[in-house]
Parts: sequence; C-alpha cells; structure tokens
Amino acid sequence: MKWNTDRRSFLKLAGAFAAAAAVRPGFAWAAVGDTLRIRMEGDLQTLDPAFMIGGTEDVMMRCLYVSLNRLGDLRDGAPWMPWGAKTLEQRDDKSIAFTLIDGLKWSNGLGPVTAGDVKFSYERIADPAVASPWAYQFEQLDHVEVVDQQSGIIHLKSPYAPIYVVSLPYYGGHIISKAGTEKAGGKFTTEPPATCGPYIFSDWQQKQKLTLTPNPDWPGPKPDFQKVEIYIVSDDQAAQLAYEADSFDYTKVAIAAAKDVKANPPADTTVIEAQSTRYQWLTINMLSPRLQDPRVRQAVQYAVDVSQILTGVYNDLTARSTGVVQPGTKYARKSNTIAAPDYEKAMALLSEAGASDLTLTLTVMNDSVRMAVAQIIQASLEQAGIKVEIQPYDEAAYWGLGDKTQGDTYKNLDLVLMDFAGGVDPSENLVWSRPEQIGAYNWSGFDSPEFEEKYQQLVAETDEEKRVALANRMEDLMEESGGFVFICHEPLVVVHRTGMQPLIYPDGHPNPVFFKKSA
Amino acid sequence: MSFVAEAVQTRRGWGHFPLLRALASNPVTLAALVIVIVFLMMAAFAPWLAPYPPTKIDVLHKLQPPSAEHWFGTDHLGRDLLSRIIHGARTALTIAIGSVAVAGSVGLLLGLIAGYGPRWLDGVLVLVFDSLNSLPMIMFALAIITVLGTGTGTLIFVIAATSFPSYARLIRAQTLALKNSDYILAERLMDAHPLRILLVHLLPNVVGPLIILLSMDIPVVIMVEAGLSFLGLGVRPPTPSWGSILYDGYTSIRSAPFVVIFGGLPLVLATLGFTFLGEGLRDSLDPRLKLRRPA
Repeated sequence: MKWNTDRRSFLKLAGAFAAAAAVRPGFAWAAVGDTLRIRMEGDLQTLDPAFMIGGTEDVMMRCLYVSLNRLGDLRDGAPWMPWGAKTLEQRDDKSIAFTLIDGLKWSNGLGPVTAGDVKFSYERIADPAVASPWAYQFEQLDHVEVVDQQSGIIHLKSPYAPIYVVSLPYYGGHIISKAGTEKAGGKFTTEPPATCGPYIFSDWQQKQKLTLTPNPDWPGPKPDFQKVEIYIVSDDQAAQLAYEADSFDYTKVAIAAAKDVKANPPADTTVIEAQSTRYQWLTINMLSPRLQDPRVRQAVQYAVDVSQILTGVYNDLTARSTGVVQPGTKYARKSNTIAAPDYEKAMALLSEAGASDLTLTLTVMNDSVRMAVAQIIQASLEQAGIKVEIQPYDEAAYWGLGDKTQGDTYKNLDLVLMDFAGGVDPSENLVWSRPEQIGAYNWSGFDSPEFEEKYQQLVAETDEEKRVALANRMEDLMEESGGFVFICHEPLVVVHRTGMQPLIYPDGHPNPVFFKKSA
Repeated sequence: MSFVAEAVQTRRGWGHFPLLRALASNPVTLAALVIVIVFLMMAAFAPWLAPYPPTKIDVLHKLQPPSAEHWFGTDHLGRDLLSRIIHGARTALTIAIGSVAVAGSVGLLLGLIAGYGPRWLDGVLVLVFDSLNSLPMIMFALAIITVLGTGTGTLIFVIAATSFPSYARLIRAQTLALKNSDYILAERLMDAHPLRILLVHLLPNVVGPLIILLSMDIPVVIMVEAGLSFLGLGVRPPTPSWGSILYDGYTSIRSAPFVVIFGGLPLVLATLGFTFLGEGLRDSLDPRLKLRRPA
C-alpha cells in the first residue's frame, strides 16, 4: 500500500483527532476512567508488614496482601468486616476461629495461601527476636493453631477485645508467604517474595510514581479500578496545584488551604472533611528537673489557651479533644478537667511552688503547622509569666529525643508538642502512656500503676460500658498527673473527583481496593 | 542655585570622602548604597519604626490583606507583616554582618599566619582550609543545627565556619605575594618584629580585597539565612526573619499571596543592594580595575 500525505491532509487529520478528543472527555481528560490516580506523601521504603513505616506502604500493602478482616470508611465509624477470611468467629475470650476465602493464591508459583501463612505472619510480628515496631498489635497472641489448609484458630494469652480493629486489619494483620519469606532469608524490603492481594506491583519510578495492576489470580470481588497509580508528592501545596492540573484524582489538602478549598472547590471535585485519628497534645515532662512539682505542671495546663490554636491553626475545623481517645466514639471523655485557660490561677500556682521566674523549652518538629501551634502555646504561656523557648528539630532528630537508648535527653525535655496517628479503639491510643513506654513514646514520664492496671482491664474487657468507664478514668489520670494538655484530633481534608467514592481508613490513608466509581 | 553650582557644592562636600564620591558617581551603586543604608536604619531602629510588636499574635485577624491598619497585611498568626519585615532586617543583618565579621577576622588572622609563617605551618593551615572548603555549606549547616539546635548563634557559627577558609586563602595569597617585596625585606634587615611587619605593613595592604569580598558575601549570607529559616532551621520562632516569613507565607500562598510577595521583597532588595554596593566598592578600591577602565 502506498501512503501519501501532504500538509493539508495532515492538518485535517490532526483537526479530526483534536475534535474527537474534545467531544469525548473520557479520552483526553478522563476524570474517572479505569485508572485511579492517588497522591501520597512519601516514597516506598518497605513492603514487609512487620516494618511498615509510612502511609505509602500502608496503601500499597492493602492492595498487595490480604488481611483476615478490613475496616470501613472512617466517616462511617470504620466498622470491621471479614475480608481475607470467609468466616471469623470469636470462640471464647481467648480464641478466634477463621477460614480463608477460597482460591487465594500466592504469586511466583508459591501455591495457595494457607492457615500456615497466617500463623507464620502473626507469630513473626509478635516474635521479640524480629523486633517489629508493631509487635504490640500482637502482644496478646499466644499462637495460631492450624486446623487445615484454610482454617485455623488464633489463641490469645489473655482476652484482647481490640484485636478486630487494632491488629487484624492493620499492618501487622497482613498475611505474607511463609515459604517465600523463608526463601528470602526471613526478611525483605521493597521486593516481596510473593503477594496475593487484588493488585500486583507493576512499576516503580522512585520518588515519582508506583503502579498497581489487577492480580489475575485474585478470587475476591474485583476492584472498580483496573489500574492504581500512586503519585509521590511530599508537599500539600504542590499536590493541590497538581490536582487542579488534573495530575491525580485524590489528594489530602493542607489545613491552611482547607477553608478556601471548601469555599471554592476545584472543578469536578468533592471535598471530604473528617476528623482524623491523628491526635495532638502538649507533653509536660514530669521527669524534667523544672517540672517535678505538680503545681508547676498544673500551672502550665492552666496557661495554655487551646481555643487560640484551634482558631489560629486549624481554622476551627476541629473541636478541642478531651483526651487521646477518638472523639465521636462512645469511649471519648465528656470534657477536660481544665477546660479553659486561667492565667491568674496559673500564676498563683507558680508563686506557691516558688517558680515565678520559670523558663521552659518547647520542643517541636519543624513543619509549618506544628511551629504555628508552638508559637501560640508560647504566647499563651507568656501571659502566665512562663517564658518559653521554642526548639525546633527535623523529624529524624526529633524522634530520637525521647528515646532512652540514645541517652538521657528524655529526662531533660520540658514541653514537647506531640501527635500520633491513632485508631478507633481507645486502647490503641492509650497504649503509649503506659509506664513501660517511658523512654520510648511516653515522653511525659507518666508512671501510673493505676493506669497500667486499667489498661490491662481495658484490653481484656468486652463489656462496652465497662470499657467506656475504664478509658475515661485512664484519661482522667493522665490529665490529673499534669503531664498532658489535650489539643485536638486533626482535621482531615481531602479532595477527589466527583465521579468516585473513596474509602478512607481511620488513619487517614485511602484504601484503593474499595474506591468505587459513582453510578 | 544652578545645577552646576549644586554639583560643585556636592563635590566640595564629598571632597573629604573620596570613596563616597566614587560610589556616588555610579547611579546604580548610589541606589544600592541608599538601599543598604535604609536596611541598616531599619535594623538599627526596628523597635521605633515597627508599628506593632513583631511577635504579637492575633489569630482572629490572621492573613488580613494590606490595609490602613496593617500596611503589608498580617501573617498566618495575625502578626503585623510590616513589623516582622522591619525586625527581620535586624535578624538578617545581625547574622550576615556577624558571620561575615567573624569569618573575615578568622580568615584574615589565619591567612596572614599561613602566608608569613613557616612553610610547615602554611601546609597544615592550607590543608585545614581545603578540608573545610570541601564541606557543602548547607549539608554542614544541617548537621550542626541538628546537633546544636537552631538559633542566631548557631547560624553565625555555621556560616563563619564554612566561609572563613576562602578569606584565609585570599589573604594567604596576598601575603605570599607581598612578603618578598623590597619594603618588607628592608624591615626585616632592620630586625623589625614579625608582628610589626604583619600589622603595620602587610595588614593594610592585604585587607582591601578582603573588604570587597566580605561585602560581596553579605547578600550570600542573607540568602543562606533565609534559606535555612525557610527550611525551619534558621532562627528560633517567634524571632522574625525574612526566610521564616516566606516559609509561613508559603503555606497560604494561594489565599494570601501578599505574605510571600512582601516577605520576598526585602530579600530581593537587600540582595541587590549589597551585591551592587559590593561591585561598586570593588570598582573603587581595586587599583587594577581602575587601570583597565577607559579614560
């Protein structure tokens, strides 16, 4: 065949293509096609559930592995439901029976997913020799009994009610291949020996993009999106611009921009506003020589005006927290004991303690939101005559400060602005204030035997009313110690294309497997 | 008064300040000089010039656009932006002049010692200069700040520690070139004390190029300070700094772009002012350039 073309016909052809593209939005500007494009903040570092680090790993693992159960959207209270298990039954206080769904298969020819793999995965996380930072999720695990290829029984050392929302659906609950992991020498990073989830890991452009495509062997319900692209953009502002330029379909928005986004959302966009499980508080370290007198600590509690923080930094998108427990749940305390600032009382307490000329250091991570909060705390404490020097640190140095394995700095910190990503069960947020966490994550030096006793009761208790009373009492103890000023659970603001319905976990990260195309 | 008479009077008035006259003869340098003087005045008289305390938080009036009450608007915590910019000049110039002065003094002293001292000492010092010069300033700064924490003192230390070797190298080269001059040899023959030779004869002859280099480095240091503050590693909050104003403004750049615009303006002007003034000084003080200049 002879192919002839000239400038005129070329222009006609190009014009026809352009017109076709313009009249068929799905071709040129697909708002919601078969590819789901979501934005995350950091690059992938590991796909080993035992050593999960950041949000991107969290999202990737939900696509590549299965867990026995999963959580629903945080806006619906994140109810749990079976996922990789077709049955998941509580036999008694200390045993849970499960049966895996039919047809689950490992990649790389490693055969079916078995109850033995579940046993291997859970016992590996719990094994102190593995030193997983998520070992606490399986702290109460005694062992997993393999009944047959697809069934098993999880045996606990003592009753552990939160297992369904704290352990099984999260990082530690992802099932990995026993044969594959052992073949890889017991550990792996970004190249898992085998996966079994709804997607497979197709491509990785470091610090730019991760691509997931459907797993042809996946026996469960097919995800709505044929392909998932995860774009790595660390900065929220840049991400918002990229979203507006149609670079992706889903992104978290900076808190500072939330008000404007809500007032003037980008075209074809739905704004989700929710209260995340990331809770923020001011740590008052009772190990510090300057803060050992409870009256001084209480003076600090009376001198912090949290309402200024909520207005100044969070644009009143969130309310003050009454503790670390997730607001809106039945476990949340009704109110704070010290609900409003009282500078005169703070000054009186300082005078009584002989600490009228008090200077404290406020340690903070050096990002814009935290620095703004710190400056409001500084200005607020100044009104009670407490001088505050803000000491910002970058993330890596910051986390080493409270770590007792890195020296005695943890005993000399005065005030620290802290925030953790929590969960929906109160135990998951209260766990970090246990005495054993001093020198790890309990930077207040809060050492209460009653708190520990109540914690043990809380995780073993199944009666809801009793659990509520226990959680409330534990937060009372925290506040009474003078070691904490509860600030808020940070707002989560997300934008996405109107043609889809996202599913967001309580930790604020999306689960692409359950994103739905709108009808 | 006629224009000519005015010019004559000006020339007479500046007759005692030949350097100033030389600087004023170039309109760009003159403009730069005015800018630098304005910033120096801002830094010196900040508490009197600023309409509000620079750290006074007023969250109910955050990100207010420019108005009669707040000429440059307010920042993300409701602080008056103009007041923070005026006080920011004090921060920027304290760090810039402080670190350049420390680095210049250390560089001058070590450069003279290296150039005039024994060869083994010269070798050791040159090794030290080259080792320090090989450290990338920002990476070194990040490491030191991580250990010592942020603050004005830390910034001056970091910037001085990374910049003095280039000054020392310059002074060493100048000293080496001059130490075998006839007048130095004559002093030696007359048994002059080495300290006298260094301070009375060498120092006045080598210091000119150093002053030029220092003045040219001031804008660089201002930018470094702003850069570190932008990364949250500069001066401690709530101390106003141009870099931290930009950092704070960046988070609301879409809703309140005036914060970044007004925050960036002094940085641009100060950089241009000090750079052009430095070039003017170089043109005036460097005799080689004068010789090359067409009549």
